[in-house]
Amino acid sequence: MAHDVLLSRRGFLIGCSLAASPLLTPVTFAATPGDNRLVVVVLRGAMDGLDVVRPLGDRDYLALRPTLSGDADTSPDLDGFFALHPAASPLMPLWQAGELAFAHAVATPYRTGRSHFIGQDALENGTGGQDGKLTATHDGWLNRALAIIPGAGPQTAVSVGQQRLLILEGDNDTEHYFPVDESGLSLQGQTLLAAVNAADPMFAEPYARSQSLTQDMMGQPVPKRGVGSAQLGAYVAEQLLGPSRIASLSLGGWDTHHSQAKAMSGQLTDLADMVLAIKARLGATWGSTLVLAMTEFGRTARENGTLGTDHGTGGLMIALGGALRGQRVLANWPGLSDSDLLAQRDLMPTRDVRAFAGHALRGLFGAKASAIERVVFPGLDLGADPGLLL
Amino acid sequence: MDPASLLEEIRFGYGPRLGAPLAGPGLDPDRVLAQLTAADPEGAVWDRPSLSDRFALFATYNAQKKTAAGASPDLAQTLKAMLVDDTTTFVARPAFAGAGFVERLVNLWANRITISNASGGVARYVQSFRDDAVRPHVGGTYAAMLRATLWHPGMQIYLTQPASIGPGSEVGLRRGKGLNENLAREFLELHSMRQGYTQDDVTALAMLLAGMVSDDKGQRVDPRRAQPGPKVILGQTYDDSDPAAEINRFVADVAQRPETAQNVAFTLARHFIADDPPPDLTQALASTYLAQDGDLPSVYRVLLQHPAARDPERHKLRSPQDFAAASLRLLGLTDPDRAADFAKLARHLPLSLAAMGQPPLKALRPDGWPEVAEGFMTPPMMAARIDWAVDLARRAGNQVDPAAMTAAALGPYASPLLQQSVSRAEQRWEGLAVLLASPEFSRR
Repeated sequence: MAHDVLLSRRGFLIGCSLAASPLLTPVTFAATPGDNRLVVVVLRGAMDGLDVVRPLGDRDYLALRPTLSGDADTSPDLDGFFALHPAASPLMPLWQAGELAFAHAVATPYRTGRSHFIGQDALENGTGGQDGKLTATHDGWLNRALAIIPGAGPQTAVSVGQQRLLILEGDNDTEHYFPVDESGLSLQGQTLLAAVNAADPMFAEPYARSQSLTQDMMGQPVPKRGVGSAQLGAYVAEQLLGPSRIASLSLGGWDTHHSQAKAMSGQLTDLADMVLAIKARLGATWGSTLVLAMTEFGRTARENGTLGTDHGTGGLMIALGGALRGQRVLANWPGLSDSDLLAQRDLMPTRDVRAFAGHALRGLFGAKASAIERVVFPGLDLGADPGLLL
Repeated sequence: MDPASLLEEIRFGYGPRLGAPLAGPGLDPDRVLAQLTAADPEGAVWDRPSLSDRFALFATYNAQKKTAAGASPDLAQTLKAMLVDDTTTFVARPAFAGAGFVERLVNLWANRITISNASGGVARYVQSFRDDAVRPHVGGTYAAMLRATLWHPGMQIYLTQPASIGPGSEVGLRRGKGLNENLAREFLELHSMRQGYTQDDVTALAMLLAGMVSDDKGQRVDPRRAQPGPKVILGQTYDDSDPAAEINRFVADVAQRPETAQNVAFTLARHFIADDPPPDLTQALASTYLAQDGDLPSVYRVLLQHPAARDPERHKLRSPQDFAAASLRLLGLTDPDRAADFAKLARHLPLSLAAMGQPPLKALRPDGWPEVAEGFMTPPMMAARIDWAVDLARRAGNQVDPAAMTAAALGPYASPLLQQSVSRAEQRWEGLAVLLASPEFSRR
């Protein structure tokens, strides 16, 4: 295991002048907040919840989606009212096993516009502002959560991906993991470079850890042509098998203004691949894991003139994992008739998506409800527990 | 080789340029400060459209969009290209500049007083903020810089000032709207004092700032949104007779506060000398700041004269921007004959910088990029830094003598281990990669 390699390198590095750095906290000695795991997936671009989980039982749905519902007869039924997009069928075994649930007609509090930028910032910051104005700290809610999770430390949470995510930025130290495709130096070049870096106390540890990234944690070389979604899922799982209890990553490409049928199939295939890779890699640990996939807002109830949909409001949250009490679509369904829609165009949000994340933090990590409403999502009323967890 | 002069280029610039003689002799504060007023034709190649040019372009674009024909594709393309070139300039200007100290200061202050196109609606203004609000004032008073940055439309949008309305103003009363404290808070917390003020001061300042307008017609306060009545901030009273003048009077007052002096002093000491700078240096800078009414060149002079400026040990990590610029200079990629090579590289610059932890013009938070090493040393960021070094060295190929490059880059500061390692590589380009990816090259 790569962990052992890191530990043995650290064996002689620990105690050097950077010992206070969060990068140097020993892997095995970190306190952890229990055995549960939370993965938050930021779906960038505004996923069309009405296409992913289709309210086929709503009498207005087919008229709003004349072409996008063309494959409705191959949509797996969920509960007699909702049906799943066919491309998400690989997730049906999870549904059957109670490891998949949805919260429909949900949204962040952002209402005054439909900007991806503002919407994603609002989602990751956790602001209660209708204008999407960020909290005074301009940090991420999952970072603030670390302050109120008993036992959380600098290795508890990790951003997985080339970029760190705003959702995990802030005053609490977090990890950042992404394997890289190192342009090849010869073995001798690598040895020389390792020697000059090892000689500098400020660089020795970060260098050693960066080199461990040129192989992923399963010891495989990093693929040359970028990291696919299954690979990304495996990386996330690998982090959760180490000291991390919280991981966040993002999946882009949900902004389906044109030719949505094709785009959505690709997106859902990627999402399913990622989730199934997490499950496969986690093994038994999947049983104590919750994955929440959230997006900045939903899309218009009506399809547009270019076989797609435009920016909307109410959307969908996807919950997965062995820790989940699933096989349910949680929704206070607002309906789809003209007068039911927000501004006669968008699915009306009937619950704040932050409440689900808040209850997850409570259930998984023992965070106090009052602290969640004060620190993580200032001003949020958590409301009734949706009972997401087993 | 003149070691002190090389140190001047590394610590107070972006490192030596291939083929250019060191300024020398020695590390000379007068010579460094002379950059503040001298022309820099090499850096000026990367001059970008000014705020008024940008206003004009966007006005035309918006007017075209309202017509039946819509915006012309050419103009849309021009605007898009303008934003791409802004991000290239982030590294290119420091790399090409003759006046490295000026560029370092522009980047330092534009980071301490940040706006970022990580927020919507700001992208078109970020470069102008750097050029029009920061650059003209790096050799002037801090008060003037605070005033220009506070009023810049990019700052106003970034910190949501247009949404702030005096609750007792005409518009506030009619629409039941009120203050947005974002700009007031960050002005005190990040741009000026950092400490020594209360929430009441933030609220009172937000009252004073309510109604600020900064657009193509100039800077003013909209009387229908301004909060009537006096505001007491930090014990001083500001009245409502001429709100714009009172805002500027407040900025001048805050600039003279000892807390602001301390913040400016610490910012400079930490940026140029060490993540934990010597307290006597910070103290000396702060007293000079107060004694000289916030005149920045007087403060820089104390910094340049302090023994820490000549410390052969380089304590700081080059930010990704510094690191990229220094490597381009060392390899001569800013030479006019290499324009085609540079253009090829420039396409990858934003992505490479992002991977190293500093996507150009896109700081994640209003406190800007980290000023301490560990902010750019996560394992993926370190790997990206090495990747940049190896790519650049591979492009340079085997025509380059890595031992000569090491001497040019670090002179007598190159350790025996580095000199040995560089010359032991099997191929020249690999020796160069070892140099560029070494801690010694990343330090300044």
